[in-house]
Amino acid sequence: MYIPITVDHIARVEGKGGVEIVVGDEGVKEVKLNIIEGPRFFEAITIGKKLEEALAVYPRICSFCSAAHKLTALEAAEKAVGFTPRPEIQDLRDLLYIGDMIESHALHLYLLVLPDYLGYSNPLAMVDKYKKEIEYAMALKNIGSKIMDYLGSRAIHQENAILGGFGKLPTKAQFEEMKRELKEALPLAEYTVELFSKLEQYEEVNDDEIVHMAVKPRNDVYGIYGDYIKVSDGFEFPVEEYKKHIVEKVVEHSFAKHSFYKGKPFMVGALSRIVNNADLLYGKAKELYNQYKDLFRYNNCFANNFAQALELVYFVERAIDIIEEALAKWPIKERDEVEIRDGFGVSITEAPRGLVVYALEVKDGRVSYADIITPTAMNLAIMERHVRMMAEKHWQDDPERLKLLAEMTTRAYDPCISCSVHVVRI
Amino acid sequence: MSEKIKIGFYALTSCYGCQLQFAMMDEILQLLDKADIECWFMVERNSDEDKEVDIAFIEGSVSTQEEVELVRKIRENSKIVIAVGSCAIHGGVQSWDKDKGLSELWKTVYGDAHVKFEPKMAEPLEKYIKVDYKLYGCPPEKKDFLYALGALLVGSWPEDIDYPVCVECRIRGNPCILIEKGEPCLGPVTVAGCDARCPAFNVACIGCRGAVGYDVAWFDALALEFKKKGLTKEEILERMKIFNAHNPKLEEMVNKVFEEGE
Repeated sequence: MYIPITVDHIARVEGKGGVEIVVGDEGVKEVKLNIIEGPRFFEAITIGKKLEEALAVYPRICSFCSAAHKLTALEAAEKAVGFTPRPEIQDLRDLLYIGDMIESHALHLYLLVLPDYLGYSNPLAMVDKYKKEIEYAMALKNIGSKIMDYLGSRAIHQENAILGGFGKLPTKAQFEEMKRELKEALPLAEYTVELFSKLEQYEEVNDDEIVHMAVKPRNDVYGIYGDYIKVSDGFEFPVEEYKKHIVEKVVEHSFAKHSFYKGKPFMVGALSRIVNNADLLYGKAKELYNQYKDLFRYNNCFANNFAQALELVYFVERAIDIIEEALAKWPIKERDEVEIRDGFGVSITEAPRGLVVYALEVKDGRVSYADIITPTAMNLAIMERHVRMMAEKHWQDDPERLKLLAEMTTRAYDPCISCSVHVVRI
Repeated sequence: MSEKIKIGFYALTSCYGCQLQFAMMDEILQLLDKADIECWFMVERNSDEDKEVDIAFIEGSVSTQEEVELVRKIRENSKIVIAVGSCAIHGGVQSWDKDKGLSELWKTVYGDAHVKFEPKMAEPLEKYIKVDYKLYGCPPEKKDFLYALGALLVGSWPEDIDYPVCVECRIRGNPCILIEKGEPCLGPVTVAGCDARCPAFNVACIGCRGAVGYDVAWFDALALEFKKKGLTKEEILERMKIFNAHNPKLEEMVNKVFEEGE
């Protein structure tokens, strides 16, 4: 007899998705990730629209990584019209993006992941016993939000990143304030690494065939932007060739497609960035990486949590460096005029949860083609494989425990389900 | 209120930004002493959509047949229903191109593919259920949440804002993006409460809080101004529809400006 074990609605993730595992006397028969959010047609609704208005709408695909969507769409649009931002503007866009990274990682690690390890059903219930951790989470989240407020206009759906630069830049005093708070946040980020170094002993999904994909960082700066994609099997390709190497296929149980590289699922995200680019880390993050090298298990998706913790340290330090460089170049002109010409541009950047692709074509000032692939859409196939591996290991356990382990496996990917479903193009 | 208030936060089709904004408020820790969370999947694993609550916060547009049934169930189980954000109140940016129709949008994105859920054109909650209060914005400001919850927790009732973003822009002393820079700012017809956030960054308002209520949103007066600046009717409608596509007055008022002028 086969028994279905179903989690209708995976909690503590962004968006609406479910897990379905069918278990029988001889083991696991079927594993499915059901993606059940309604469609929002982002590509279709922005085609034919003015470029600036489309750029205001794209970030609304997802709130957890709205800055990632805004900045990737902006880069694709600027490439399409043949504009390159000044280096100091690019640095400040990096800073805005880093605000998103810090907030998103802090939120994911402390509020979405940690309750499972500590035996709670929600993070708010942890307040009495784990007051420090909740306070750290809020403080890290707040500095990420402040960066997005000051540089992006707000923490969710930033409007102050526009073609050519910014509408208005923060004041010198606001940069100083961000720097001071980032310095205060650095020990909290380091504590996060210590905390997760203990938890990472918890569960394993050992997938020795796993392949990781990440950008090859531009100017050798670990992080967000790049012109080539690096694969852990040694292959590299220019971002413009993404369609050849990231191949999407339809699966019938999901509004979102699954992605494959050389016919196999692959992983993107913090762990993939560490696997491909750890040699570019510096400062405290490099020290901690060397100290905990063994815990960055490339074959275990749960190590993605630990990789995010290390990235918190890296991005806090990197943000301080960018602010110091900006202050040294002060005053900075906020914007250059952009002439909106016809053209086509592809940008692939590192969102908090992995690669995000924007390919935009502009004709007569309007979007004439849009293709968007999000990190969660790329990760869905491998997520499903790892939920299956987890189920195969624990199928004889209590169903409630199996459910929890299956949810934890998906949570390790920090999925953004709204992202994945709203931009599918079949 | 002596007993704890029961709250639920429910999501339809959206970016989850309204609940993220709510979850990310430091003040939420103070609320916990006064509230029981019966349903909130983004933070609580033991969430139950069938439980009765005092206040139901709903974000997202109604975009599948399943969501129609869900909002009806939430309405039955709730004393107060609060529509949170642009999707729940106005259908959201996913309504921007609703004139194209569901089947054309579906074809552009999904081709001939079939999925096991029944999709619908994104619609506001009020199309299906009675809504008691609205928190405007994409997403709403933190103070919108605090004000509404504060008023409700002391047994009072929050009021709607009935003036446009322009008022807050003047108070902040921002230069006028519409008049001085000639950009298509929607501040004059958009509900205030954001402290003129975007114009303060020299970015024209795109109307994310929706049109001012009580029928005082003068789409026609603004359309006339835009027309003088050389925008076509289509351009004006496109911009106003980013967040107002379901507004019943919009087309009528903009059309009037162009008919009279011809």
